[in-house]
Amino acid sequence: MTQLHPDIDLPHNDHQTIRYWVDERLWGHRIWDNQTPWLIFLELAGIAESAHREGSLLDEKGSYYPLLFKPHQRILLRNVLYNNQILPFIVDRYPDDGRAWKEWTTWMKENARGVAKRDFSYLQDRFSGFREFARLISMLRTSTVESESNRRWSSRFLFPFGASCLYEDLNINAANKVSREYINFGRTGELLYLMLCRSSSAKALVSYVERMTTNQNPWNTLVALLQDEDQEHREQRGKSFLPYTSHPVFDVLGEDVLQLFQLNLPGFDGYPHIALLASMHIMLYQMAISSKVLGITRPPIICEIVAPRKTLVRELSINSYQYNSQLSAHAVTAFLDSIASSDEWKQAESSSDAYPRCKTILLDQVVWPRDSDDYDKAHEPGTLIKHLRQSALARHRQHAGNVHRSYGRSVGLISKRGTNKLRYAPNDALLKSLILANVSDRMEFKEFLHRLFVRYGIVIGEREAARSLEESEFDSKVFQSNASRLEQRLSSLGMLRRLSDACAYVLNPYTENTR
Amino acid sequence: MAKKGPQWIRFLRQYGPIARNDNMYDEHIRRSAARVKLEPLLFKHPIEDELLSLFSETAESPTSVILTGTAGDGKTHLCRQVWQQLGGHSEEWDSDRVYHHIDTTIAGQDFTVHIVRDLTGLPETGESGNFHTKTDLLEFFSYSIFTDDPGSVFLIAANDGQLIDTWARLNQTKDAVDETGRLLEDLLFNDLRRREGKRLTLFNLSRIPSATLFDRALDAFLNHQGWKYCYDEADSETELFGESCPIRRNLELLKQGQVSDRLRALLELCDHNDVHLSIRRILLLLANAVLGFAGNEADGKRVGDRLMKAVDVPRIIASKEVAKASIYNNIFGGNLTEYRRNSLDVFDYLNRFRIGKETSNRFDNLLIYGHADEQLKPYFDELLGADTFYGADDAFLAAQQQYIEGADEDMEVTEQFLDLLVSQRRALFFKIPHAMQDEFSPWDLTVFTFAGEFLDRVIGRLRDGKRVERGVLARLTKGLNRVFIGMLVASDRELLLATGLSGSAAKVSCILEDRISVRQRISEQVEILLDESKMPILRVSFTDSLQVPLRLTLTRFEFLSRVAEGVLPGSFSKECHEDILAFKSRLLTAAKQRRQAIGADDDQMTFRLLELDELGNPLEEVVELDT
Repeated sequence: MTQLHPDIDLPHNDHQTIRYWVDERLWGHRIWDNQTPWLIFLELAGIAESAHREGSLLDEKGSYYPLLFKPHQRILLRNVLYNNQILPFIVDRYPDDGRAWKEWTTWMKENARGVAKRDFSYLQDRFSGFREFARLISMLRTSTVESESNRRWSSRFLFPFGASCLYEDLNINAANKVSREYINFGRTGELLYLMLCRSSSAKALVSYVERMTTNQNPWNTLVALLQDEDQEHREQRGKSFLPYTSHPVFDVLGEDVLQLFQLNLPGFDGYPHIALLASMHIMLYQMAISSKVLGITRPPIICEIVAPRKTLVRELSINSYQYNSQLSAHAVTAFLDSIASSDEWKQAESSSDAYPRCKTILLDQVVWPRDSDDYDKAHEPGTLIKHLRQSALARHRQHAGNVHRSYGRSVGLISKRGTNKLRYAPNDALLKSLILANVSDRMEFKEFLHRLFVRYGIVIGEREAARSLEESEFDSKVFQSNASRLEQRLSSLGMLRRLSDACAYVLNPYTENTR
Repeated sequence: MAKKGPQWIRFLRQYGPIARNDNMYDEHIRRSAARVKLEPLLFKHPIEDELLSLFSETAESPTSVILTGTAGDGKTHLCRQVWQQLGGHSEEWDSDRVYHHIDTTIAGQDFTVHIVRDLTGLPETGESGNFHTKTDLLEFFSYSIFTDDPGSVFLIAANDGQLIDTWARLNQTKDAVDETGRLLEDLLFNDLRRREGKRLTLFNLSRIPSATLFDRALDAFLNHQGWKYCYDEADSETELFGESCPIRRNLELLKQGQVSDRLRALLELCDHNDVHLSIRRILLLLANAVLGFAGNEADGKRVGDRLMKAVDVPRIIASKEVAKASIYNNIFGGNLTEYRRNSLDVFDYLNRFRIGKETSNRFDNLLIYGHADEQLKPYFDELLGADTFYGADDAFLAAQQQYIEGADEDMEVTEQFLDLLVSQRRALFFKIPHAMQDEFSPWDLTVFTFAGEFLDRVIGRLRDGKRVERGVLARLTKGLNRVFIGMLVASDRELLLATGLSGSAAKVSCILEDRISVRQRISEQVEILLDESKMPILRVSFTDSLQVPLRLTLTRFEFLSRVAEGVLPGSFSKECHEDILAFKSRLLTAAKQRRQAIGADDDQMTFRLLELDELGNPLEEVVELDT
């Protein structure tokens, strides 16, 4: 068991509501299960925009804490886009342009929320006609990120065409008071930003990430037209905490993101891939830290390429998933055990003032129990640590403990397809992202499988399986057919070219010279 | 003297789907042919002349050669041809050794030719002649490719996967080794035989069209002397090659032309779907087609390997089971057990057409009610009734009767009849004469209902140097537009390049980026033509130098045609849908390049919004904003 120490002091004074720093100390503040890849990406983009404004994009300037930024709120824009259900009715009812504008601005005046000045009249001058305006609004609404989900209007996000489209997650209460909401933007995007800052590719990434916010395109200009810069309000946010100043996972993440940017895909076609892989890397980061705490190497991810019937690979991938999804909970237990089994703790336990000394150790390690409200059980070291273990684990299970499953499912690595149990079975979208990030032109199929193994721990073919499985579990035949199913799938997706039965190349479908 | 006919049949079985050691195939067949004093099935390999000329005195310049391909493509066979031409001894070749060398004159210079007939079979030490190890040999080979006067040339046969693997394992720090590795990959991947200035020629035998190999193999098969013995020795109606002999019937059907034409069409379509069949597989297919029998025994005696021998013929006729020897069924491995069939790639490939399983109402009406239906009866009589071997025999009619009346709910009887239907549909695929194709298209019995059109109206016309008809191109255009826009658009005279707001892969794309005329307009054009390897491509030209090609495989042709006829892209095949969307993405990139080249301002605030009217015609609404 290794005692894993954060590289940076716990910033507990800034976050009084965190009762014990267990999840936070291991993985950071915070790794949040309810955030989808797109929302993580949007949160990241918002920070990048602010950092770019401040002149410190992807550069922590030697200080690892605190990260501070001032994201936009863009309340007017959001009212126009998402709190504007009247629009189609006005278009229908008032064919006369002047009348329509008048009716609409009146309605907005009464119904807009969270705005300082109830004035939308600036819009009339900027659009030639109301109908056109309505048409463009409904067009823009189709680009809403995750539009199928049923979020309230203040938590709906526009596709990040450029700086004018970025804003933070808000809650507007009945009294029209605006506050930061942490449900959709759960700070994992902030962790992602910090990871990129601390990756070996940070410098190279700056110009690309900058372009995300500075790029000029008609859509961003259109969105800017909908806003009134004078009314824009920004508040300072931040103080997220990523415990490690460097980590191999950050580097691989940085490389993947850089590679995806460098492909120069048309328009915004690169974003979904970055969003997917970034979330997958956060999931891998959690696994890597858990393994470190447990003193093991990061376990492999045995993937089934969906087969028509049950195979040994499916069984192994189910086992592999079940083991990996419990890894973070084991790490929590192991971490607390390591405190209880430390010499320091044992000495304290056997001393005459055992309870206060043990309490000091815990305060030092996990910032708990700070006051009498935190702990009201017996003043006895054994009970104290037992209580901590139980409640830390219970808390872990609510959010951080679900990250593996929840991220894995949303990036398309984990699914139940064809069975009733969760397992690793990557879908086409994820495979495509992996190819784009790893194959710049073409790559021999076996080399590709090897690369997936080295970089992500993904096991698909027999060579990698042989390296990561016990002899009793390994069967070269089933992994051969697993790999050949992948080959067939990639080939029908136009991402693989087969030269003969023994030789195939994985292709990046966007690179011209591969056809 | 033992009869030669039965010996021939027995020998021919060796080519069929029987359990055998695959590694020594060429040697094995030759030995067993020598034993029975019959010629093996031989034909000139399409590259034989070119290969031999490279090792002749009159060769232009000496070059090393790599023969690559899958098992059964004829690599070993070709190596031996070269060995013989160079005057090497057969006894030496027949030893188990993998490496041989011989001195000779090529292009007027003295050379040592080193032959490795199976790269993977060559052990690391002890068998590389003067080379200390296999690694030494390969390093010297690499060196010789880039040297002006190496004094040695090589002929190496290897499966291409192993080839790449072998080079990956060699010491890459040596320049020549590394460079050779890259050269091999370059040649293999780009389907090239050589690069200027390199002393290496690579023949990828897997790239030779299966249809070409089929033509040669069929010719050798049909004209083999063995069949003559069978005819000459036949003396009773129910013996081998008597009037009722199913082997003879199968051979004659194959000879008639229509069966072999349709079979060839299937193989050609495989070529157009990037599926390659090796020579060995084609011979297996032919042997099984003629000798196959769908049962373990006949008249109480075992039929070994489900392939007929001479002795089986009278038993099969006696037990009235001739229908089980149907060539139509055998072609798809229908005679074999499911397990055996699945293990043979040739049947896997052919069964992807799903012939026998696919059908239309018209076909099933013909098969089930044709006997009694006034309108269908002439067709039924012609296609099924007249065929005394594999047509509607008593067993079929009885099962049909029972199925129609459906008196007892016996599932087993129903199943049996459905199995018979599968065989009959397969037979129909081959039997429908050309003249009847308009009423009953044999391609309706496959998953690729447009395959016939693909062969006749695309490949055929292009090969004859004609243009593809406008109608076909219009349909493909419509299919492309429907995928590109995600709506049931009807335009077929121009390509509509549209994107969604957030990405080109959006399901519905209604922001119009560009239109490209199908008919030539200045240098803009969409056309179907053949590429260098004689495969059809659909090419979109933006300018004279800016063109985006799409290989027109059978699958893509079928997909686009069906989408044009109203099938929803995502429900036909998600893969095809993605595939065509990737093509759109390439077109969009090209369109952008063109706009940039002519200096069009991409940032101007103009939005071209696309809508459809009730008839599916695209309406473009342009919204312009002042900023």
